[in-house]
Amino acid sequence: MNTRVPGSLDSCSEDWLPDEIARLLARVTRPGRYTGGEFNLRLKPGASPRIVLSYPDVYEIGISNPGLQILYAHLNDATPAAAERAYCPWPDMAALMRAHDVPLWTLETMAPVAGCDLWGFTLPHELTYTNVLEMLELAGVPLHAAERGEGHPIVLGGGPAVANPWPLAPFFDAFFIGEVEHRLGEIVEALAAPSRGRRLQALAAVPGMWLPRVSERPAQRQVFTAFASTPPVLRPVVPVLEAVHDRAIIEVMRGCTAGCRFCQAGMWYRPVRERPVDLVVEAAERLLGETGSDEVSLLSLSSCDYSGVEEALTRIRALRPGVRVSLPSLRIDSAAQSLGRFAADQRGSVTLAPEAGTQELRDAVNKGIDEAQFEEAVRATFGGGFTGLKLYFMIGLPGETDTDVAGIARMAGAAARLAKEIARGRARLSVAVSSYVPKAHTPFQLEPFAGEAVLRHRQRLLREAMPRTVRVNFHDVAASLVEATLARGGPGSDRLVEEAWRRGARFDGWSEHFRFPLWEAAAAATGIELGAADAHSDEALPWESAVVAGVTRSFLSDERARGTRGELTDDCRYGRCVACGVCGGGVEMDVLP
Amino acid sequence: MTWWLLTFSRGGPARYLSHLDTARAVQRTFARAGVPIALSQGMRPKPRLSLPLPLPVGAAACEELAVVEVPDDLPGPAALRELRAAAPPGLRPLAIVVVGDQHPRPQALEARYACLLEGDAGAVQAAVERYATEVSVVRERVSPKGRRTLDLKKYVVHAAAEPAPGGTRLSFAIRHRDDGAARPQELIDLIATWAGVEPVMRCLERRHITWKGMPPGQSPGAGRSESP
Repeated sequence: MNTRVPGSLDSCSEDWLPDEIARLLARVTRPGRYTGGEFNLRLKPGASPRIVLSYPDVYEIGISNPGLQILYAHLNDATPAAAERAYCPWPDMAALMRAHDVPLWTLETMAPVAGCDLWGFTLPHELTYTNVLEMLELAGVPLHAAERGEGHPIVLGGGPAVANPWPLAPFFDAFFIGEVEHRLGEIVEALAAPSRGRRLQALAAVPGMWLPRVSERPAQRQVFTAFASTPPVLRPVVPVLEAVHDRAIIEVMRGCTAGCRFCQAGMWYRPVRERPVDLVVEAAERLLGETGSDEVSLLSLSSCDYSGVEEALTRIRALRPGVRVSLPSLRIDSAAQSLGRFAADQRGSVTLAPEAGTQELRDAVNKGIDEAQFEEAVRATFGGGFTGLKLYFMIGLPGETDTDVAGIARMAGAAARLAKEIARGRARLSVAVSSYVPKAHTPFQLEPFAGEAVLRHRQRLLREAMPRTVRVNFHDVAASLVEATLARGGPGSDRLVEEAWRRGARFDGWSEHFRFPLWEAAAAATGIELGAADAHSDEALPWESAVVAGVTRSFLSDERARGTRGELTDDCRYGRCVACGVCGGGVEMDVLP
Repeated sequence: MTWWLLTFSRGGPARYLSHLDTARAVQRTFARAGVPIALSQGMRPKPRLSLPLPLPVGAAACEELAVVEVPDDLPGPAALRELRAAAPPGLRPLAIVVVGDQHPRPQALEARYACLLEGDAGAVQAAVERYATEVSVVRERVSPKGRRTLDLKKYVVHAAAEPAPGGTRLSFAIRHRDDGAARPQELIDLIATWAGVEPVMRCLERRHITWKGMPPGQSPGAGRSESP
């Protein structure tokens, strides 16, 4: 990028920026979303292949995604490829791009996305799917893979939502299933083939790749077995615009074997792998310098379960006394101890996730914490000097009754009493209640979605039962219904996504943009009943024709049965192997001694 | 502790940052360069760094000012090299003036701007000429704090227009008085309304700021610890 020399701002030309883009930037909110210019941005002029990485949400959300940072750093620093980025334009910008016929560009070179060799999307969840179509169209890339030809980029999907790729299958040339770090070199090599067809052929040979129009077998989810011995991203792109997360991130552990039966991430990222403390501490030192951040976050699905957490915290604090160290994901059974370690930081708030309101239901979902542990964690929160506590629950879990929902209000009431007793007037307590959506490759993958009527009824019950001093936030039931439909949608469910997008659905994960009537109309037009994914039989699950997740069907079925009986299953890293099916063939748990 | 006046330019992608984002980027540049900034007292210490004159989103600038408190023993020239290496694209530290232990409180007296207005150049020219002849141009400003009226003629001076590729180059100066100042967009809106063109301000540049309250002989650009 040709940024101008200071003192020479004597003309109106912005030579680093195409004029048609400059005209749009003058008319939109937060134009900095579209111009890059971050710390640690990589430029590789003339490098080949040219790969664009996208997160289908607005910049401030997408730049905070650690997965995209891993791909960006690895592709640029360890392969011949040039990786650039594009995020989903906000509706004001999208409207102007259409009106002025300006195609989507990348933040690195301001060049059209459509000119790249490979366009990779990280797909985080179902409510971003219409944004994928929005970005394809804004880029001028044909929506359907079948309509693309020589000169069009290969569109590749990855990330957690590809656990069931069917709702997006016709829009993508290929999906990569699982962790991709160790396969990036092969993907870059495949792009050297002389024609689009040959490139797709070469990609199909990369393990973990599933091509909807080509593959005859499902793809095996890939596990990055060298995770523990590989340093985390040391030079991440640091936004200059305020983003949702602004801290240095070190992924200390990947995978979680706690075995919560509702949790897709817990099943998807197995087995557990831990990075050595030395690697984590060295990374912290380097990252703090590269990012200029004053907070380092030890990231994982369950950071208190990282074997080196105590030592890493102590050593990082000794190395950089002014830096805050945060653990973003706390389990209640170990939270009290962890919060004690945190007390010196006096951070603002803590989030605890009991998930369900009664012991019976917590046992059914294998979240075996009891109310004594919960109260101990709440005491530790306020006793440790924190003034904010957020509790996270779900409604609509399999087997849930009104009694379980009343239990949520009872637990919130107990927390409110403790807050008053310990923190007096300074405490803030809030409760977030989401609607449970059954996901593919989990023990509850065949459980019915609770449905709109039941969820609204239980939200009403909770509102009435909740103490007045507690602020409650509910997820939008209608959005959960859409999410539930797509999470287990089979071949043909793409028609619902496309129809909703054609009717104007965008940014469905944003309450101010989610418009349920568009989805209702799309469902009526396509004949797809919202919530109809419940109709899958036990025999043929559509996602199993595309993805081999590693956890076996028999394990998931056993776990479902144990949940029905209220039986707990051990965490295999502390107890016996639970025979989930993931380990073997070079894939093993890799934890610190 | 000692105070520095850091001058820097903003262009390229950094011109699209807000005032707060620019301040954050400067602060982040210090942190990446390993140049410590003093913290304020109290429960929530904040870095002692301020940009006295906010720059509009979309505006480039040749010589902006940041006021920063740092430890006494930091050598300015060495720090400047580190800051340049650590800055993001488009943000370039130009010079550091070491002020001493007294907090400098520079106050802008006048800032000169130029920008491009698209549309009928003749109409824009006529609107600027009309502005010059008006005695008073009262406009209402609506903000979260409420409504207030201001007479642009008290603040915006030396407005001139000349043809430029793509439209009309509009140049003007804004006086900063004890009772406040006009915003560049307020003049643009006025001229555009009178000219019947779209009020889109492009290529805005803040070209010069006249400061009051600088330590003697220490105005930005003079006595630099290192030339750009």
